[in-house]
Amino acid sequence: MARVLENVAKEILKANGIATPAFAVAKTPQEAQEAANRIGYPVVVKALVTVGKRGKTGAVKFADDAREVQAHAQTILGMTVRNFPVEALLIESKLAITRELYFSVTYDATRRMPVIIVSAEGGVDIEEIAESAPEKIVRHHVDLTLGFHPYQAKELCSAMGLEGKTLQRATQTVYRLYKNFEKVDATVLEVNPLVLTEDGGITAAAVLMGVDDDAFYRQPALADKVEVGTDRSWRPLTELEKEMVAVDAAESYRGTARYTEMEGGDIGFLCGGGGGSLLAYDSLLQCGGQPANYTEFGGNPTETKVAGLVKGVLSKPGVKSFFMDANITNNTQTDIVAKGIVKAFQEMKIDPTKFPAVVRLAGVNDTEAKKIFTDFHIEYYGDDISMEDAARVIVDRMKAVKRE
Amino acid sequence: MVTRHAIAYGSRIVAGVTPGKKGQAVEGVPVYDTLKRACQLHQVDTSVIYVPPAFAHDAVMEAIGNGVRLILIITERIPRLDVARFLKVAEGEGCTIVGPNSVGIINPHDRVKLGAIGGDNAQRCFAPGQVGVISRSGGMTAECSWMVKRAGYGVSTSVSIGGDPLIGSPPKEILKRFEKDPQTKAVVLWGEPGTSYEEDVADFIADGGFTKPLIAYVAGNFVESMPEGIVFGHAASIVSGNSGRPSIKIRRLREAGAHVADRFNDIMDILKEVLG
Repeated sequence: MARVLENVAKEILKANGIATPAFAVAKTPQEAQEAANRIGYPVVVKALVTVGKRGKTGAVKFADDAREVQAHAQTILGMTVRNFPVEALLIESKLAITRELYFSVTYDATRRMPVIIVSAEGGVDIEEIAESAPEKIVRHHVDLTLGFHPYQAKELCSAMGLEGKTLQRATQTVYRLYKNFEKVDATVLEVNPLVLTEDGGITAAAVLMGVDDDAFYRQPALADKVEVGTDRSWRPLTELEKEMVAVDAAESYRGTARYTEMEGGDIGFLCGGGGGSLLAYDSLLQCGGQPANYTEFGGNPTETKVAGLVKGVLSKPGVKSFFMDANITNNTQTDIVAKGIVKAFQEMKIDPTKFPAVVRLAGVNDTEAKKIFTDFHIEYYGDDISMEDAARVIVDRMKAVKRE
Repeated sequence: MVTRHAIAYGSRIVAGVTPGKKGQAVEGVPVYDTLKRACQLHQVDTSVIYVPPAFAHDAVMEAIGNGVRLILIITERIPRLDVARFLKVAEGEGCTIVGPNSVGIINPHDRVKLGAIGGDNAQRCFAPGQVGVISRSGGMTAECSWMVKRAGYGVSTSVSIGGDPLIGSPPKEILKRFEKDPQTKAVVLWGEPGTSYEEDVADFIADGGFTKPLIAYVAGNFVESMPEGIVFGHAASIVSGNSGRPSIKIRRLREAGAHVADRFNDIMDILKEVLG
């Protein structure tokens, strides 16, 4: 999943027949003021970040004149919202609200269907509505063999208690919002609030959109506008993480790799397999290790890709050892992984006799892998010990180094 | 390579389908342009889907349309909307889908292996025996089966169900089959953060749907001390609020009577205790 910035999401909705407030992006207080002058007062000044629940952190403010816009812009641009420094603002016209509704659509993993959720009690988090007024939440699972039809949108709106012209307008909006969800291959589309305005209109006031990065091949316009890997980070990607995204993308046809930097830590950590990586990381923590990064790969990557990843793992400041822990592979060629690791050590001129390096890697072609590692003096284990046992070995080696 | 390994292991692969390659053969297996033709000339009961993500939806529909009842999808990174679409069709047609993003299914007793599972040396991890294995992770399907072997037992069938957010056969569905399978005396379940699969299993056991011993390990405890909403490992491995938390999964499984291992290595001792 890749998160989409609100201005991009709103452009998409606008182009598909859904009303949004007039909006503009600003990067400085000066730009914010100019945008507000163009849009007309009063305006809303919002942090343009990919995380939700901005209102609660004070990153959404109202302004009645140019002076207020300047002041709010100054404040919000200096903020960090849930670890994301605010680098841009969204300036929007303030709506004359009569009612706030809630709309979202996402996938229900248990029933494996898109689920539309609406409520007449919008403007607060859906979790809060679920607590305070669960009876006001209306759900509809979309049967993809039958599709989603306007009458179903109407049923949802009627269940929210809407009537008359409002019902008709809301039906059209809900229908279009769902159609957009499919059209852009979204994985989540939340409009909260979906606003009924004094002039009888329905406007998507705040939009949160996540799109399926596995569908970018058929969404080329979208692919350029979002940053890949945002669902795997709780803060903006670091420079090293961006480099590793590039290493992965350079040979996207073979192997997938993901690099996440952890705070502190001294063990450069590479793990094989989406599940195995969880076990390896847990095991390291259980025996007192401090991993500096979390790097997983799978799907039989090339030697170049492995080398690129290992260089990333080892180049994080503070890394004093290398640990690779992988489950027994089904199709990843371990000899190629071995060559990639050795290549990275050589290119970085790291001597494994002076730098603790432990590898647990078994599976396809592991006789060759063992020879490559052993010849290069990297401490190697195959299926003679478990993944947990291997974590203990690297932690012991680190302890020995610290004692010296 | 996968075909070669599977045939060498003993699987009966009767046909391959690749458009434009009619008349060719891979490892002695004839290739056809259409699955329809393959089904006319051979007895086909299972289809393994390897095609790239953009073509996976059509390939699955082709298998369903030609009456194949078991479809194993190896392809990963299929757009979620496509997956939701074909899963719904399969459900209506009564087809079983395993995957997407599965590494395969293996039964060492009958020497049947579908997909890359076990690679060129399936014997290493998969000894014939009486323990079923279920895992979202392909690698851990092998590793869990290897732990079973190290404990002195073997597996009846090991199933890699796939690590994607939407899959055809969650653990509960596989447990239904293990419950009926006379060869299976106990099951090892590899659990991960995210989804409600483990909670669903706990409910299923509590409701009497699965009565054999279940040994589970739930990985990813560290994820709970990280900020919410971050994916570690598989795309489905995401914690948000109380949903998807390993600690809750472990508690629910224990309350339902499953044996949950604190350490992965403990699986061996628990197996010995349970199977004697």
